[in-house]
Amino acid sequence: MVFAENLISNLFYGALLGSIYGVATMGLSLIFGVLRIVNVGHGAFIMIGAFTAFWMFTLYSLPPVAVIPIALVFGLAIGFIAFQAVIRRLVDAPELSTLLATFGIGIFIEELAKLVWGADYVGFSWDIGTLYLGPITVSYSKILAFFCSVLVAALLYLWFTKTKLGNAIRAVVQDREGAVVCGINVNRIFALSFSIGIGLTVLSGVLVTLFVPVGINVYMGGDYTLKAFVISVLGGLDSPWGAFIAGFLFGLFENGSYAILGLIPGVEPFALTRFVAFAFLLIILLVKPTGLLGGGE
Amino acid sequence: MKIRSYKPLLPLFLIYALLILIAVAVPGMWQPVAFFMFYVALGQAFNIFMGLTGYVDFGYVAFLGLGAYGMAIAIKYFSSLGLISILLGILLAVVMSILLSLAVGAVALRLRGAYFAIATIGVNEGFRYLIEGVRLWGGSEGIVLSGLMRRTFGRETANLLSTFFSDILIIAIAILAAMTTIWILNRKMGYALLALREDEDAARVMGINVTKYKIMAFITSASFAGLIGAVAWTLKLTYVFPEDVFNIHYTVEAIVIVMLGGAGTLLGPVVGGLIYGVLKYYLSVVFPGIQLLILAPMLILTIIAFPEGIVGFIKKKGKKSRISYYLR
Amino acid sequence: MPLLELHRVTKRFGGIVAVDNVSLEIDEGDAIGIVGPNGSGKTTLYNLISGVYFPDNGRIIFDGKDITFLPAHERTPLGLARTFQIPRPFGSASVRENVAIGAMFGRAKLDVESALDIADHYLSIVGIEKLAEKEAKLLTPLEKRFMELARALAMKPKLLLLDEVMAGMNPADVDRIIEVIRRVKDEERIAVVSMVEHLMHAITRFAERVVVMHQGKKLVEGKTLDVLNDPRVVEIYLGKRVV
Repeated sequence: MVFAENLISNLFYGALLGSIYGVATMGLSLIFGVLRIVNVGHGAFIMIGAFTAFWMFTLYSLPPVAVIPIALVFGLAIGFIAFQAVIRRLVDAPELSTLLATFGIGIFIEELAKLVWGADYVGFSWDIGTLYLGPITVSYSKILAFFCSVLVAALLYLWFTKTKLGNAIRAVVQDREGAVVCGINVNRIFALSFSIGIGLTVLSGVLVTLFVPVGINVYMGGDYTLKAFVISVLGGLDSPWGAFIAGFLFGLFENGSYAILGLIPGVEPFALTRFVAFAFLLIILLVKPTGLLGGGE
Repeated sequence: MKIRSYKPLLPLFLIYALLILIAVAVPGMWQPVAFFMFYVALGQAFNIFMGLTGYVDFGYVAFLGLGAYGMAIAIKYFSSLGLISILLGILLAVVMSILLSLAVGAVALRLRGAYFAIATIGVNEGFRYLIEGVRLWGGSEGIVLSGLMRRTFGRETANLLSTFFSDILIIAIAILAAMTTIWILNRKMGYALLALREDEDAARVMGINVTKYKIMAFITSASFAGLIGAVAWTLKLTYVFPEDVFNIHYTVEAIVIVMLGGAGTLLGPVVGGLIYGVLKYYLSVVFPGIQLLILAPMLILTIIAFPEGIVGFIKKKGKKSRISYYLR
Repeated sequence: MPLLELHRVTKRFGGIVAVDNVSLEIDEGDAIGIVGPNGSGKTTLYNLISGVYFPDNGRIIFDGKDITFLPAHERTPLGLARTFQIPRPFGSASVRENVAIGAMFGRAKLDVESALDIADHYLSIVGIEKLAEKEAKLLTPLEKRFMELARALAMKPKLLLLDEVMAGMNPADVDRIIEVIRRVKDEERIAVVSMVEHLMHAITRFAERVVVMHQGKKLVEGKTLDVLNDPRVVEIYLGKRVV
């Protein structure tokens, strides 16, 4: 029964982690939905969030929970700067340009971070106790991370559905030309959505450290970029809520398959889990290639 | 075919000849030139796909990686054949890259734009983790060949292979890739790719079998990548590690080179590769470790200010003059 | 045997029936106008004929061959060519190259050199030979439309589908287009179908037959003048006299 216990604990863990994956992908989906831009440098912003949490804790002993709003504001500012400096000029450019530009931004941020913070792995320890529940052993900070993720997603949902600005963004996602006709200033919506998208992503970096406060490194983002791609494709690419649900499912899938693949002798379950995730990505893309096909009358 | 359409090869060969001359005549320049030529070859190879079709393959490095493994496998398991194992390695590298490009092409080339880009990242990472996960070809420990190569070929031949022969081969690959590019540009295939790069749906309605041409460009580009991986990595460095040869970093370098020089042009990758190679080589001496910090803004600036790249820009400016015969 | 035969063709998008049970026959050398307000299914009809979409029901026969589910790029070499309502040039290529691409991959199937040579001939037919070297994206919308016509003609089609090709043109340009259409129709026996949103004077000058589309259905078909005076047609055009 070791396997059953192992699986249960892995799935529980996966559910908690999945909620963070969800928030970590919402920004990507928001930016794609509104601007039709795939932010290939996504992970770099998660890294910024993780380092923000690390430094706030190390320098001012600020717990990661308290850093969440700070990271959001910081992320909004970075997003706004990146939009004004680069993205604004490429809104109507071919897709190739935006793919490469966001890629460049990601690398620039990583290299800048390396210059300032170095290439070492860092970590911190914010111990608020551990929950023991049958086969499950989990620190309270992970559970807190889960509730924070759900709260962030819920607040965002309320903001989108209940405020005028949120509704304007949704209108642009659905029909850009229609929104222009309705008198919505689309350029302002672009700037706002990009900033919020980056803000959310930086914030999710703090949630990541709340879950795993070690292994913080300037190149940690690449992994999250790839996972976020899988998740956002699973969630329909342009829907932040789809992304949240898909992130949750991905967490379950990832940790569940880790437990199962660990049973196969002679393999490395960690690497193989990732292989399965990417195989999964390709299958989704194949079955539902929602590319820019067709076009109506 | 009018001879005029091959005139652009003239400046290309001039550049190559000059580089080789510098490498041979100036003491201490052989290594730097070999270093530049790697990037020129990488750009030429990548340009055949990204430049000509307009699709970004973020997983391009997988073809280099697979080529590197092809050569490593040939040397490791067929070392009894002596130097023939190197030939076998070259063959295996090309065959393996072609097989992967067929598989990826069948799946991913049905997707467009961002979806294609995401799928190709998935293929590259998936492949790397498959090798590590099922401990294929040495798993995460990779394949180390230096000892074996010394024992099999003798110390001097092994040294010659990794220091001189591999560099010569890279130059040959770069020249071959350039000639393939102009050959494609001058044929119907070049015009088909031009059309599909601009408007895929319209191209289809114009009678162009876009899938066929995309796959042809993809396979050609992938075979060159396999060759480069086999020669510039396995043969030159004598080891293969999965986290090195599937590193997305090399894809970025290929993208920067092609965009900087001018996507879809013949001379672009040479110009882009040289600028990139020279900058990287000398920046790493002057500012070690921050090359990427300088290169990333360069990429962004190129995209915003010169989306057609250096060669594309000059070509546009010099349209009326005789220079245009020599530029492509 | 008709050149093109649509047999009870239907195309739905979700709950909307864009083309509803339409049958149509076009012969070699015909000159036909397809008229209908925006959303009447004209463009979908073109897309079904050129293979952008496949129909849900019905058959499409071209030159004796069932092309209902043939991919777009395999239809073109049989002798189909079209222009687009919003012109779609291959922007970074020159005007000459655009036209040459038509000659290379259409029914003409010329090699690169001959295609580039003959491109100038088609450019002079539509009267824009001076623009041959220009980058296609730099043309005015009107010039782009002439270029698309040249590109379509270079394909040596048996059936030419024109989409709003005369919209927004001044009378001199319209004369030129009509002259070109008449010429290729008479000299090369190309069947020409021209689609317009509004019944305009121009169409009466070249179309022998007119088909009126309304809400996805074929409302009326007949000799041009008869159709224009048909009370049902007058009614959908808001009761106004249309010519």
